[in-house]
Amino acid sequence: MSPSFEEQQRRVKRHFRNGTPDANDQTRIALYLQAVKGINVAVLAKLEWQPVDWLPYRFLHGQYYRELELTTLLGRATQWSSQSLIYMEAATLSMDLWSRTEAARYLPGFFEVDERFYSYLALSHAFMSVLRFMPLVPPAVDVEADPFLSALKAIEDENGRQIQTQIRMLKDLDAGLSRQERERLVETQRERVEACFAQLLATLGQPPGKGLEEESD
Amino acid sequence: MPSFEHEGKSLYYELHGREGDPVVTIVNGLSMRTNHWAPYFELLPARGCRVLTYDMVGQGASSKPVLGADFDDHATMLAALHTHLGIERPYVFGISFGGVVALKYAIRYPERIGGLLPVSTFSELDPQLEGHAVNLYQGLARVGFEFYLDLLMPLNFSNQYIAANRDLVHLIKRVGASTNELYGIQNLMESLSDFRSLTPELAAIECPTLIMNGEFDYLTPRHLHDIMRRHIRSSRLILVPRVCHAFTLEIPELTSRLIGDFVKSVEAGEWVGDQSVWIADEHPDAKVALTRCEQDHLRAIPVPEPDRPARAPRRENGPGSKTKSAAGKGQARTKAASGGTKASTSGKKATARKKAPSGQR
Repeated sequence: MSPSFEEQQRRVKRHFRNGTPDANDQTRIALYLQAVKGINVAVLAKLEWQPVDWLPYRFLHGQYYRELELTTLLGRATQWSSQSLIYMEAATLSMDLWSRTEAARYLPGFFEVDERFYSYLALSHAFMSVLRFMPLVPPAVDVEADPFLSALKAIEDENGRQIQTQIRMLKDLDAGLSRQERERLVETQRERVEACFAQLLATLGQPPGKGLEEESD
Repeated sequence: MPSFEHEGKSLYYELHGREGDPVVTIVNGLSMRTNHWAPYFELLPARGCRVLTYDMVGQGASSKPVLGADFDDHATMLAALHTHLGIERPYVFGISFGGVVALKYAIRYPERIGGLLPVSTFSELDPQLEGHAVNLYQGLARVGFEFYLDLLMPLNFSNQYIAANRDLVHLIKRVGASTNELYGIQNLMESLSDFRSLTPELAAIECPTLIMNGEFDYLTPRHLHDIMRRHIRSSRLILVPRVCHAFTLEIPELTSRLIGDFVKSVEAGEWVGDQSVWIADEHPDAKVALTRCEQDHLRAIPVPEPDRPARAPRRENGPGSKTKSAAGKGQARTKAASGGTKASTSGKKATARKKAPSGQR
């Protein structure tokens, strides 16, 4: 049985006690977050066609451009690995992410305020609330002195800000769903993202390919 | 890790002390977690109390509410936890946000409470507190969690504490930001947006009630505690000198003494809930822990109460001049109540203010 999400978090926490992420881990984390932000950007881009007075537009418009800004910042701050296996591993994780979260479902057509749109908001919320690296880094580490950690922190700070508006929308948006249905959707998306994130965590601190082998055992 | 499942949500809790002793249940402030109360795990049992602490949903190791939980939900879950643990009539101690949950609990479950301790809290939002809540909410949402903790720090702790722990502030913030699930805390804050005044319901509280307010608590100031004192029949209000909103973290020894004495008096059938106001001695081992407040306790400037005749003002001609004290012993009390620089009745300094986490609200 593969280790749980919490066990993976504890293992990575122990690993980072010995030093901040090396080039392999930085590459894994950066490519993973870029894949996540790639999903968001692909979905949010089409919202630029929505009417400007559409209630969620202003928030989602802001999120779209911030995702782009932070993705490029992370790309600049990352110390990229020279090992090709790391990139193959990242491609596998990215495919798994698209598949498990059913992200392609949100790409075609325009959005209405309905179950599909609500599911996307719940997925985006799960990305922001679950994918956190700062709690894994020892508190005594000077995050601002490390460009990569500093970029990660900027992403998580921004996520923290955006979550607030998301909560309001998830609570108040009338998508024709009962509270139980909305809670179930939010919980389901969170579980999916946790499962994906556990896979990434399993690779950190491991030789290229090893973490994924263990997951598939 | 002890946890209790209730309607699909998991509550993390810790229970310390001797079985059979009266139980004090501690309800956290907004961004607190169980381990903030670690000093009380020894201090309260030493005073004959068993202590139950838990993380509300949204906090620490408990489940995170998906779309929020309101104050009624928190009170219901606390009652379920008490039932699960076989605790029949606990003393419910709630700080700040947790104080509101404690009030709700006392209102909803009058037969399930032995005593109530609302501390650094409120039953209604006045314009200033509403302003603080909006600032904290906006700070959290627009700037970030660490800024939210920055806003809280000077409201929570005294100058003395902050000066002594300056080097730790950065670390405390990082730990706070890392150990809190941001969406859980934001969800809890959301419950404040639907807050309706509890003041009209306070009269329903009949159990012995000890209200505590730090002298320099500018987040939930004196008059908000006084509203509770005036509306809860079997209450007393204690003013705790020289401390701010999160005094429970700053001076656990004194706070434990006050809690322990309250529980002891209720258990012995000696509690007098006469809506009076008292000033605590700064020293936790002072022979006399409380002094009756003779001044207008709602003023920061030490003036006589409106219905008492004014005493002749003390006049001083300058350093070294001989003047008669007009107030006598009462003057010392007045200074203690108003932040004067003289020592209080014990003449000793309060206990060492060690490091404590910053999240209390």
